[in-house]
Amino acid sequence: MASVGDESCQTYSGASERMSEEIMAVSPEDPGENEISRLNFIKVAVGGMCLAYAAAVGYPIYRYLNSPVQREAALSAVKDVTLAGADKLEKGAVLLFKFGPYPSMLIHHKDDSWVAFDAVCTHLGCTVQYHPEQDKIVCACHGGVYDSHTGANVSGPPPKPLTRFQIKVANGAVTVTRA
Amino acid sequence: MSKVYDYLDERLSISELKKFAGKKTVPLHKYSFWYYWGGISLLCFLIQLVTGILLIIYYKPGPDAYNSVRSLTYDVDFGWLIRSAHSWSATIFLVSVFVHMFSVYFMKAYRKPREFGWWSGMALLILGLLFGFSGYLLPMDQLSFVATKVGLAIPENIPLVGHTIANLMRGGLEVSEITVQRFFAWHAVVLPLLYLPLLMFHLFLVQKHGNAIPPSEEDVPMEKRKSIPFFPNFILKDLAMWLVTLNAIALVASLFPPDLGKVTDPLGPAPAGVHPEWYFMSSFETLKLIGKVIPGMLGEAAGITIFTLGLVLWCLVPFFDTSSPKGRNGRYATYFGIFCLGVLLVTTLLGYVAG
Amino acid sequence: MNYPIWEVKGIGLPWVIGIIAIFHIMISHFAVGGGLYLALAEAKAIKEGRANWFPLLQAHSKFFLVLTGVFGAVSGVGIWFSIGLIQPEATSTLIHNFVFGWAIEWVFFIVELTSAAVYYYTWNRIPAALHLKVGWLYAISSICTLVIINGILTFMLTPGTTWLGVVGSGHESSYFWNAFFNPTYWPSLVLRTLVCISLAGVWALVTYSRLDDDSYGNAKTQLIRWSTKWLAPAFLLMPVTFLWYIMMVPDANKHLLELGMASIGQGSFTQVTRIALLSVMSTSTIAAVAYLFAYKFPKDFSPSHSIAILLLALAATGSTEYAREAIRKPFVIGSHMYSNSVRVRDVAKFNQDGYLTHSMWTPSGPSVSQHELGKAMFRGQCMSCHTENGYRSMKRFLEGRDAKAVGNILSMLRQNKSDSPYHAYMPPLVGKDEEVAALQAFLLSLNQTTSANAVAKR
Repeated sequence: MASVGDESCQTYSGASERMSEEIMAVSPEDPGENEISRLNFIKVAVGGMCLAYAAAVGYPIYRYLNSPVQREAALSAVKDVTLAGADKLEKGAVLLFKFGPYPSMLIHHKDDSWVAFDAVCTHLGCTVQYHPEQDKIVCACHGGVYDSHTGANVSGPPPKPLTRFQIKVANGAVTVTRA
Repeated sequence: MSKVYDYLDERLSISELKKFAGKKTVPLHKYSFWYYWGGISLLCFLIQLVTGILLIIYYKPGPDAYNSVRSLTYDVDFGWLIRSAHSWSATIFLVSVFVHMFSVYFMKAYRKPREFGWWSGMALLILGLLFGFSGYLLPMDQLSFVATKVGLAIPENIPLVGHTIANLMRGGLEVSEITVQRFFAWHAVVLPLLYLPLLMFHLFLVQKHGNAIPPSEEDVPMEKRKSIPFFPNFILKDLAMWLVTLNAIALVASLFPPDLGKVTDPLGPAPAGVHPEWYFMSSFETLKLIGKVIPGMLGEAAGITIFTLGLVLWCLVPFFDTSSPKGRNGRYATYFGIFCLGVLLVTTLLGYVAG
Repeated sequence: MNYPIWEVKGIGLPWVIGIIAIFHIMISHFAVGGGLYLALAEAKAIKEGRANWFPLLQAHSKFFLVLTGVFGAVSGVGIWFSIGLIQPEATSTLIHNFVFGWAIEWVFFIVELTSAAVYYYTWNRIPAALHLKVGWLYAISSICTLVIINGILTFMLTPGTTWLGVVGSGHESSYFWNAFFNPTYWPSLVLRTLVCISLAGVWALVTYSRLDDDSYGNAKTQLIRWSTKWLAPAFLLMPVTFLWYIMMVPDANKHLLELGMASIGQGSFTQVTRIALLSVMSTSTIAAVAYLFAYKFPKDFSPSHSIAILLLALAATGSTEYAREAIRKPFVIGSHMYSNSVRVRDVAKFNQDGYLTHSMWTPSGPSVSQHELGKAMFRGQCMSCHTENGYRSMKRFLEGRDAKAVGNILSMLRQNKSDSPYHAYMPPLVGKDEEVAALQAFLLSLNQTTSANAVAKR
């Protein structure tokens, strides 16, 4: 407690010093030898009280505001997702799905290869689209273009390629795994 | 530390404020306890402001209202606590406002030069009640739905314009999603916009005129009267009172969080024992009682007229009771106050016993 | 299941103990701390020649004698009376195990009560030094009552591995000292001593708030300032001690602190929240309010101020004691006896031969209806925590559930798998299939009868 008190004394020194000045001003007793240590004690105590109050009020509010973040963090810890029936996806078609909280896409190319990407543009976070006729992945926000087989950024502002996921196509489902 | 203080002082002249506050005094007598209730109301209002803003972060007015409150209460961490604190501090806010009003009334603190304090206070009370009324519907569960339907009977009964007013409030002929949207606009935008400047005005007047002395203290000769400095003595005691209040709210809010009822079903039967919130119980019960004596439209109109008349008389009391401490009018005003307090308490109790 | 069962509608059985206990704790801790307070205050007054203190201390010792000797003693007996009725099995275990401990407790208790009376009635009648010795006798004997009872109270949360190893052998009481000095004994003793010291200060403030400073030559101001300091140790050391206490609590119970309980508050309400929010906040408020009302402006300190502090202390003590009781779930005696008096070692036996078969006070014979059997199951296994339609109402919990849904809950409670959310704070449901079916039918009838009543009313 002592160390906590000392810290709080520094953290809240503003408040506690102001308080103690006022206390001095109205204290009916003469400031004696004891007065100094008493003032120090009061400083620590006031700091501790402020800290306790800040914690008791602040913690619930922090958790309240942080609640969706926590939920999504739990979701993003998801390492793989199984898409039931996705193996029936036609050639040249795309399936958008949520990998945890993030939009992602599964493409079944005309050459029967399968590929899955994180569908968040690496430029400013828009969701990208697959254009089958051009066989490209395009971001409508600022015209970024990605290679639909490798995810490489081929044109426009994106700084990095799309994250590529591993895929296992089985009978009746496709399993996408984060590396 | 002192550098920061000097920096601020040069620009904001804090020391002048301090000097001013230091010169102010608060009278000390056996009724001093009642001086704290305005401060308690203020704290509750601030808590309402903070928790209200926090609730808006997740609340969705309109058709999603119920679901958003459900997820806020059950899914979001500590959502139940924020909601509970908002609801409980609303109750404690209105209790303390009523105590504040009656203590001001019986201490005759509305007399010259404090008339505007009284009037602005009355306006704040009415706004406070409207806050309560509009906020109660927002969760859109069965109870709040029915209570709002019942509560809208009061404006509905105003002669001639009642229907129009009630329909405008509802945004239709029945309470619906549109009503929630409207009530939300009132609750979170319109009322705060009206309330805040009025509150500033009220607080400014309190600072300007200081605390009034009750008539019983006016007999005490000047040199025998006790007082304490406003700053820091009264402020520090006020702070202690705030902490007690905050603690009390935290205690009831975490022990008795409000429930969320079933989703609104406009065709469903009213839940048993439906009644408005306690602060409307008195007017609700009075209307019911008058309706028993004078049935039909006439009775309802009579009820509304009596309310309006009573409220107007209550507001106009500074004109009636202007005289010296022991004047006859002063005594009548006190009797009127006791009568009003009695009616308020009896009808409220009756509402709970009979309901 | 050797005892009849008492039924309390509305607040339920736990709150009967709870209300009496919280009331008693406020006074009994004062009785312990207050003895020390009076002795130290008198010693200080004698040493520093503060003759003006004596009338106030005398007034305080009168208040002290009445409060502890009447309300403290009566509510203490009240706890005995209520736990004997509500938890007879557990009470019996405590008596059998600690019979010698209770005997010592009674000796100290008699000395305590006698010396408190002697202390008050001999003010100004015997030499000051002798009077002070009576005060010390009181202080020491009352501290001894805490030292003893603390062993028995902490035993219920953490009986300790040694005692649990011999339980059922008939030699439990020969391991008295192992059970007595159990893992939570020391942190709890320190924690309770801190509470005693601070409550001594709080109650002293209550006495002085009624007195006028001018009539006693500033004694009010001096004593209020001095009494406020009694709150400081608790305020400073409580958090550390509480952490120490929590460290000594078994992991399973600690886990309970992090668990959300739907029955207490909605959403993610955990016991940690309750302790953190209420204890921390109330303790800080007490310190702040005591400082602002009492220490800074002792002359103006009035009864309403002191009652505010007292109520805050009640909130802090009440919520902490509540949390302490709550972390003992699902047991009344840790790892030995569930909160519905079923011993852990009997669970298999009851599942095989039936719960009611071993219950001496249940209706039996072929004429007994299924409803009666179900009610007997409810009374025996649920009612130590739940009520039909009051505190932790079964009617409300099961509202809108059909026979199958109620059956699902019951079978989950009966299986009591370690990953079940109820495993941590509810005892397993025990009994034969017929008994569980009877309980299911009884629970269903709670909602049916009321809806039938509602129809009849209309």
